[in-house]
Amino acid sequence: MAADASAQRVAALAAGLLIVFLALALLSGWFSDYALELGGRVLLLMTLAEAWNLLAGYGGLVSLGTASFVGVGAYVLVGVMNRGAGLPLACLAAGLAAAALALLVSRAVFRLRGLYFTVGTLALSEALRLFMINFQPLGGATGLFLSPDVPGLRGLFLLALGLFAAATILMELATRSRFSILLRAVRDDEDAAAQIGVRPFRIKLLAFVFASVLMGLGGALQGLKLGAVEPYGMFGLQWTVNVLAIVIIGGQGLRLAALLGSVFVVTLGELLASYPALHLAITGLILIIVIRFAPQGLAGLTIRLARRLRRSTRA
Amino acid sequence: MDLQTVTDSLVSGVLLGGILALTALGLSIALGVMRLVNLAHGEILVGGAYLGLYLLRWTGLDPVLGLLLIGVLMAVLVYPLHGLLLAPLSGQGLEAPMMTMFGVSIILQNAFLLFFSADTRSIDRPYAATPVHIGSITVPQIYLIGFVISVIVIVLVHLLIARTRFGRELRASAADPGAAAANGVDVRRVHALTFALGAACAAMGGTLIGIAFSFSPTSGASYLLTGFAIVVLGGLGNIFATLVAGVALGLLQSLGGVVFGDGYRELAGLVLFLVVLAIRPQGLLSGRGS
Repeated sequence: MAADASAQRVAALAAGLLIVFLALALLSGWFSDYALELGGRVLLLMTLAEAWNLLAGYGGLVSLGTASFVGVGAYVLVGVMNRGAGLPLACLAAGLAAAALALLVSRAVFRLRGLYFTVGTLALSEALRLFMINFQPLGGATGLFLSPDVPGLRGLFLLALGLFAAATILMELATRSRFSILLRAVRDDEDAAAQIGVRPFRIKLLAFVFASVLMGLGGALQGLKLGAVEPYGMFGLQWTVNVLAIVIIGGQGLRLAALLGSVFVVTLGELLASYPALHLAITGLILIIVIRFAPQGLAGLTIRLARRLRRSTRA
Repeated sequence: MDLQTVTDSLVSGVLLGGILALTALGLSIALGVMRLVNLAHGEILVGGAYLGLYLLRWTGLDPVLGLLLIGVLMAVLVYPLHGLLLAPLSGQGLEAPMMTMFGVSIILQNAFLLFFSADTRSIDRPYAATPVHIGSITVPQIYLIGFVISVIVIVLVHLLIARTRFGRELRASAADPGAAAANGVDVRRVHALTFALGAACAAMGGTLIGIAFSFSPTSGASYLLTGFAIVVLGGLGNIFATLVAGVALGLLQSLGGVVFGDGYRELAGLVLFLVVLAIRPQGLLSGRGS
């Protein structure tokens, strides 16, 4: 009985999400350019935040290397499209490239536990950035330009929506499956999990590759939107910082936390668009305040508020 | 590329490594005693450079002569941050303090940008560029001066930790905070002082780097990673291992620059870092196994 009820719930949730996505897609024809641009940005960041949360929240792998995969995805997309391939193939290539990078470094980074893993991923993303700045065949500091035409704002919005929709649905499946239980077991006590038959490396690798592919696709979209890629923008720390800000401010969790965090970060960015240094400084300040006073983030606050309201209406 | 230039380069790397070791010492102490991954380390280092710059500009005091003062200044500036930001997080695991310091690093970077502009600066001193000749080897004077000073400070810190009461409390807090507290050690105060000491080391190293090279609001990030590379190479808990690791990294950076070109210097260091992390995360020189 319980299995039926939960299967029903999943189906209802899936249907609900699909309806929301289709509605957004249809309505986007009437959105202003500004709304499309902002919406696209929020959706892209939400995708990255969900991917990061899968790694950190469910997997206990706090990564400061988001920029590595975003950058790889972007560069591969531009490179592949410049050789004449269409968008779908380019996206596939970008995703595969990100997965390949994840596989390549997995053996090294998974030997590291906790803090060492975090610092290791930071080193990886910095190393890639430095490498790309100096490596002339891939454009060096100037980067690469996209030869084919870039789709319009609505097209980009729909792509971002599609990516987010796919990510959300896959996340839903993942978090309701046995995989998520295994992942959390590894997070909570890797050695104990190994002793009861879980294979930590494989589980971590799956989560890592999954998250990396999403980040790579996000980067590919960004590269497509900008029509050009260069190391400071695509491998720069701002990707890591923004995702971190979203997750800390939004709270750890999927969807609601990612949504609140992304909307907050994008809004703050827009409000302080003319003062980039001030914007970042305030982001840092908010990070510190949230960690100190609201560790569950905006999502946590919202849930607490909702509970309090429910209790007061019941009483 | 003749042998002379290569040798000069490698020796410069060794000397520079000593300065880097001083900055890494700050990181190592914080990590070892407080389990704090101080992601604002690079910005504290750059802050030290700015302190040296403005000390020179406003008082005419040579930053090398005033190095201890700069260290103390930074320690004083940083000490209240521990009580304000880090102490309240003490029960919450390792990520919260790390992310808090990440926030601090972002704030500092942009504060530097706002107050000092994005211009690349350098502390202009006559001994920064003038060469000194040791036998047939030629290096800028500041490298040699910086190396000597760094080693002296490192030895002083070692003596502080090994011979004084504060040092005993520090070691006790690092080994077992609960037992230390039970024995009357004010662990929270020790942590705050450790944090300040770490910042002082970073700032002093930063001033030396500011004389030897240039710096800007965003140069901190690469020194953060170099610092971590040295900490991982040398392992935690052994101050002289940190010095050796610093020298090794400096040497490797120079090697990378000589073989691949100047832009690849830091990359060489980072790649080595990743390799060591992969093979032996507890450090090449530490005695403990994983």
